[in-house]
Amino acid sequence: MTEPFARPLAEPAKTGPEARPSPKAFLPAEVRIEEHEPDFDVAAADPDQSDPRLPRMGWPARLAWGAGGLFLSLALGLFADSVINDLFARYSWLGWAGVALLAAFVVAVLAVIVREFWAVRRLKTLDRLRRDAAETLLSDRRADGHRIETALQHLYASRPDMARARAELATQATEIFDGGEIVRYAERVLMAPLDARARALTAASARRVALVTAVSPRALVDVGFVIFESVRLAGAIAALYGARPGFFGFWRLTGAVLGHLAVTGGLVLTDGLIEQIVGQGVAARLSQRLGEGVVNGLMTVRVGIAAMRVVRPLPFETQKPPMVRDFLPELVNASRRDTGR
Amino acid sequence: MPQSPTSLADEVGIALANLADAAAGAFTPTLRLGVTGLSRAGKTVFITALVHNLLSGGRLPGFAAATEGRLIGARLAEYPEATIPRFAYEQHLEALVGRTPHWPESTRRISQLRVTLKFQSRRWLAGMRGPSTVNLDIVDYPGEWLLDLPLLSLGFAEWSAEALARAGDAEAVPEARTFLELLQATLVGGPATDVEAERLATAFTAYLRASRDDSHALSALPPGRFLLPGDLEGSPALTFAPLPPAQGGVRGSSLYAMLSRRYEAYKDDVVRPFFRDHFARLDRQIVLVDTLRALNAGPVAVRDLEAALTAILSAFRQGENTALSRLVARRIDRILFAATKADHVHSSAHDRLEAILNRLVANAAQRARFAGAQTRSLAIAAVRATREGTIEDAGHPLNVIIGTPEPGERLGNMRYDGRTEVALFPGDLPADPAAVLDGNERVYLNFLRFEPPHLVERNAEGAPILPHIRFDRALDFLIGDWLR
Repeated sequence: MTEPFARPLAEPAKTGPEARPSPKAFLPAEVRIEEHEPDFDVAAADPDQSDPRLPRMGWPARLAWGAGGLFLSLALGLFADSVINDLFARYSWLGWAGVALLAAFVVAVLAVIVREFWAVRRLKTLDRLRRDAAETLLSDRRADGHRIETALQHLYASRPDMARARAELATQATEIFDGGEIVRYAERVLMAPLDARARALTAASARRVALVTAVSPRALVDVGFVIFESVRLAGAIAALYGARPGFFGFWRLTGAVLGHLAVTGGLVLTDGLIEQIVGQGVAARLSQRLGEGVVNGLMTVRVGIAAMRVVRPLPFETQKPPMVRDFLPELVNASRRDTGR
Repeated sequence: MPQSPTSLADEVGIALANLADAAAGAFTPTLRLGVTGLSRAGKTVFITALVHNLLSGGRLPGFAAATEGRLIGARLAEYPEATIPRFAYEQHLEALVGRTPHWPESTRRISQLRVTLKFQSRRWLAGMRGPSTVNLDIVDYPGEWLLDLPLLSLGFAEWSAEALARAGDAEAVPEARTFLELLQATLVGGPATDVEAERLATAFTAYLRASRDDSHALSALPPGRFLLPGDLEGSPALTFAPLPPAQGGVRGSSLYAMLSRRYEAYKDDVVRPFFRDHFARLDRQIVLVDTLRALNAGPVAVRDLEAALTAILSAFRQGENTALSRLVARRIDRILFAATKADHVHSSAHDRLEAILNRLVANAAQRARFAGAQTRSLAIAAVRATREGTIEDAGHPLNVIIGTPEPGERLGNMRYDGRTEVALFPGDLPADPAAVLDGNERVYLNFLRFEPPHLVERNAEGAPILPHIRFDRALDFLIGDWLR
């Protein structure tokens, strides 16, 4: 409870030496006191948990996309109309075939659009779920915890590899009395195995990148391979955590991952810069190519970590968040072994 | 000036015992868990549930070591001290989940148990050596005896003044009047006779027993062995009573001198060994508080409970441990305050129950935190006896708990036989915990005691799964960090 406190009343401004009101205490009974609760912002409390929000479009971009799209549809409609008319002018059966093909095309496009829409929505759902979970960990409300549990059950309902964990979560959650505990338990049983797999994916990707860099004849080849591997890794991790990104979803995901990398300055904040420099130094001492391989591998690791942070539906609470230094020793060893040095 | 609870010889003994433990624990460290709580707070049930859940791998989602798969298993081990009875775990469990479930009988003597836990450490060095083991030592004892710990720092005159002030209180039970009248008729400075001492002690004991009754539910009633003498019944060390200060000089043969000697003997021969052997060398402590019983009885009982807890907890050694300091001076570095029987209120009221608990142990918790110990408070139920539901009452939904009240429990005019299941609305706990202490605002509460759950689930091995409330969290806080 906030204690009553005294604050100066608004008085007509005076000039001269009297301008500044002298210190004075007011009795609570004599003045109207407005109390304010401090605004506790959940997300701002922890700078390390700077979970990136998916970027939103501004209104000019929306207008541009909307108007352009509408115009394009008009043009396409006109074009389709004239083509169908032309076909009917030749033979009527050709016209009907054209109509059928067009219908099939429209239906297919609609299906694709619906899928893309769902994929984008799913990314947003993950994002919201993570924020809700972070709030529940603080509020500890039971109903919130159950809501998150239901959302997770729904999210992973079609995953055969998680059936057992889901069943376990469902039985235990009814007997847990704190929302925060439900989230923690869900993280332990659902997220921990996925984390391990995501780490393995990241490590494998980084190893491949390091190897290709070490043996590739041209710099352009490794740049291309790093990009290819990063895209593949981000997609694989997103699919692993249940995001299933389509084309546009993937576009957003890439944006979020790049945004995360930009926010954290290319490294995960909890990592010591020293360790990275030292690690790279050791590798570079062994050979220049090897050093470059490790650097490129680390870049891939960062992409993997950023992707994990973007698509994981729960914040890192009981599990250790992935860090670049976890991957470093393995990476150095692997590239030494693979290149035979 | 308050006396130190231990003598110098005790301190040396404690340090040597710690050193011996450290030497023996180089391979298998021993974690001594102090389960503290006044009588009927639920110590025996807590220990039984703790042992059973560890042995059978119970349903403990919040216990990280078990959920993350690090805990390999647990088994009962032989306790190193051969003279102390073993905690009758099997009998207590049988009482809880047997054909006719009932709560274990109240503890009348001290008993101990050691559980050996096997786990795979997550730490690099410990993990390299394969599975690690930890011994968990637990002591069960009558809660009444705990009341004696504050006596260790009180002399006879101080204790007498306190006890007489309590007995002279306007809200004390009628038996207190009987005792005080008897005291009036007694010549304190007169010659000592055993008959006189016995008569006073009997009246004093009767007063203590009456105060403890459910309708008053007072807690701060030392000396504890008067309530539960064990095998000391009738011995001179238990035949004394508080006396007003004698006028003029006190002769060595006077009644005052004799009772004062007996009081000191009681402290030296009964209380101090109990404290030294079981409480001076703890690593972790859980303080079980039966708030509901005190709330049932009203503000006087709640205030009394607060005073008793504060006095008792000040006898414990709390503070930070370092690897080196632990060799000779063990301190309690984590204390969990637990409001037990949380299943007797609806889960929506658990927040308020915790708030009341926090208010009750505020002084003790502050002291512990100042010394450097970590504290936490939780509303728990080691064995959950009720289910939850809602009913419609006069158009408003009410949160109720469903269970079978114990035989003899009464609500209004209804007296239960222990067979009927009821849905109980025990009243709303006040949002402001101060309300239960000052008694300005009338708080309508009536909690009933429930029978243990009938028909518990069993796991694949046939071991019963005890339902609980936040017991896993309690366990994780108390021993989780030793199983990393």
